[in-house]
Amino acid sequence: MIAGPYCGKLLASLGAEVVKVEPPTTGDLARRQGPFPGDVPHSERSGLFLYLNTGKNGVTLNLDDRHGSAVLHELAAVSDVLVHDRQPDRASAEGLDADSLGHSNPNLIVASVTPFGSWGPYAGYRAYDVNVFHAGGEGYLLPNGLALDTFPGRAPLAAGSQMGSYQGGLTAALGVVAAVYARSNGAPGQAVDCSMQEAQLSLGYVPIQRLEAEGVVEDRFSRYFRVGGTLPAQDGYVELLTLEPRQWEDLARLLDYPEWAAAEKFQNPGEYGPEINAHLREWSSSHTKEWLYREAQAHGVPFAPYYSPGEVFHSEQQRQRGFYEEVDHPSAGRFEYAGPPFRFGGVLDKPGRAPLLGEHNREVYGELGYSPIDIVELARSGVV
Amino acid sequence: MAGDKTGPLSGVRVADFSVHAAGPFAGLMLAELGAQVIKVESSARLDITRRPHTMYGKPPSSFEQVNANKFSVTLNLKESRAVELALELVRVSDMVLENFRPGVLERLGLGFDRLREVKKDLLMVSLSSNGQTGPERGYSGYAPMFAAAGGLGHLTGYPDGPPVELRHAMDHTGGVMGALCAVAALCGKSPSLDSINLNHGEVAEDRSLHLDVSVRDVATAFIGPALLDFAMNQREQAPQGNRNGAASPHGVYRCAGDDAWVSIAVTNPREWQGLCRALGDPSWAQEPCFGDGYQRWLHRDDLDRRVEAWTRERSPWEATDLLQAQGVAAFPSLSADQLMADPHLAARESFPEVSHPEKGRQRGVAPPWRFTETPARLDGWTPSLGEDNDAVFHGLLGIPLEEVRALQEAKVVW
Repeated sequence: MIAGPYCGKLLASLGAEVVKVEPPTTGDLARRQGPFPGDVPHSERSGLFLYLNTGKNGVTLNLDDRHGSAVLHELAAVSDVLVHDRQPDRASAEGLDADSLGHSNPNLIVASVTPFGSWGPYAGYRAYDVNVFHAGGEGYLLPNGLALDTFPGRAPLAAGSQMGSYQGGLTAALGVVAAVYARSNGAPGQAVDCSMQEAQLSLGYVPIQRLEAEGVVEDRFSRYFRVGGTLPAQDGYVELLTLEPRQWEDLARLLDYPEWAAAEKFQNPGEYGPEINAHLREWSSSHTKEWLYREAQAHGVPFAPYYSPGEVFHSEQQRQRGFYEEVDHPSAGRFEYAGPPFRFGGVLDKPGRAPLLGEHNREVYGELGYSPIDIVELARSGVV
Repeated sequence: MAGDKTGPLSGVRVADFSVHAAGPFAGLMLAELGAQVIKVESSARLDITRRPHTMYGKPPSSFEQVNANKFSVTLNLKESRAVELALELVRVSDMVLENFRPGVLERLGLGFDRLREVKKDLLMVSLSSNGQTGPERGYSGYAPMFAAAGGLGHLTGYPDGPPVELRHAMDHTGGVMGALCAVAALCGKSPSLDSINLNHGEVAEDRSLHLDVSVRDVATAFIGPALLDFAMNQREQAPQGNRNGAASPHGVYRCAGDDAWVSIAVTNPREWQGLCRALGDPSWAQEPCFGDGYQRWLHRDDLDRRVEAWTRERSPWEATDLLQAQGVAAFPSLSADQLMADPHLAARESFPEVSHPEKGRQRGVAPPWRFTETPARLDGWTPSLGEDNDAVFHGLLGIPLEEVRALQEAKVVW
């Protein structure tokens, strides 16, 4: 759905030739999820699918079928890396376990990205993004600041946009590329087991360290910026964070040195935090977020607006960096997509579009030695 | 467990000039993957991870993991001799990692163009708030700001509440993206590699490469589908709390106990039937208003109240066990102490013990991958400031020990 496909998308955007293997007829479940142009559902027009599969070729293959399994092994034999997101029972049923694939290609790197990893007591537990995010510790600690003040009794919160799944896919991609590098130095193929829960733990290690070093168990109420954080603006919200005394002095200058912003108060956030924040919120709500962003940054104060997707889409900063890429798709049409968040000094090609279901069957299976007639036969028997 | 096998990046040396969170986390990933990461710091301006935190006021021990597995040297880069030593270190390293605000390294005499004069095939990874180019390149920021300006903050929160600031994990996510780019570029430089076709082409005759990672763009990359919704339909997506799309029940529910919660997600009829079985087939579940997925979505508030009436009678683990037994995705919202006592994570050795001669023994968080042939490791704790000055300046760069001492006296190696 997200983690595995995002891993593959990143590898494609770094120059790898990625073949996405989908079940015949239905394809990836993401194809059934929106957004769709004009809100009309169509398996070739899912924004989720189109975004997560840019730059890949696409084939269909029925992994529940014996012939399909044989084709999988042929594909594995000519691949460097196989990435999948099946939990252990499903992976074995589909022949995606590293042991059996290793027989076809001892140099193959088999990476799995699953909620709890490919082994251990919870390896078979079902989980979606919301479960993974709350299983990794960060969910329990959100929200803080203004949202917590507003709704102190509500449930802890997963980050938006299924962030935990993207983090899992990103972490897996790093593991894959590291294994590829190791192989170029003589290491054999191997399995790379990525647990999305552990990716959360790794990225969110701070509360683990606070507990281990200080014996403090953080919760939403204790993990809280005493000064600043999310502030209301006239037309939305902004974020302020002053971690250095110098930044607080710059903010005081921007505010024209009110008594409540005195340095000694800032230095004692435990006592003065609530008072300072009440003043800050009153001040910020009388300005637009754009004014606050530009004025504060001009004074050297770390400030940022909370941009909506539409505002992000029109961001001058990202536009000038060429972050958005126009992608033309034969079914969905031409839209601007968020591009990769890195620049390689111009050495990487643009990643291209997502594949149609089974679009590259003829090409990919042809390279494996299947004639067009063979492929028609495979399709007729439901293998591809 | 791992025996004598080395990590996948064994033999790679990184000159790490990064500070605070995102850059050091990229360095941590590389170090866990087996690279030799030499962190360059200075007493003249201590990394924030070595000072009490302004907001927390806590001792720096709580921020240590991010610099584990690394080597520490000190260089006071305001001194020209220190800059020369930094250039020497770059010359013998495979890559440079930094996350200063764009322009700062140039002012120190260590910008990309200067570095590639001393190292023709320089690989430099720069992480920054907004990237090395564009009108906001000089803006300052921390994790919550990347998420805010990048749009991820807007989509995080209760549907009827303000946006929510994302914390260190946002910085660290940018760090993983930086590490990914770094290793991909190493692959592209490796002549024996035929799989990842990084084509360096004509861009740099001298084969140097500057990788520019914007952490704000990382946040935006994570909301790609919402941006497509805007591009396709001019729709501004809003935060959904713990809900997702058109599935219900899908949320975090209060359980028996203090601040105890369980996440539950049901997205198809099979899972709905599993949920009904786990709840003991209550009669309300048969009502037409919960008859199909669309009806359940329409009546989601009512459904959430009924599910929570059940979870309130149980601990998060009781609810999880009953639901998982019926094939329903459910899991407690775990705090740090619960994570560190968890049997699954214990079985996977997710909290290895590390030791340091001065700091004693302590548990850290394991690398997020299990390689069967080239194990990643957390096996050395955060070095003391300048702990490896002799090993690096004398052992690696060949400077006589008495000269290293003199440089320390002169506050160059400092």
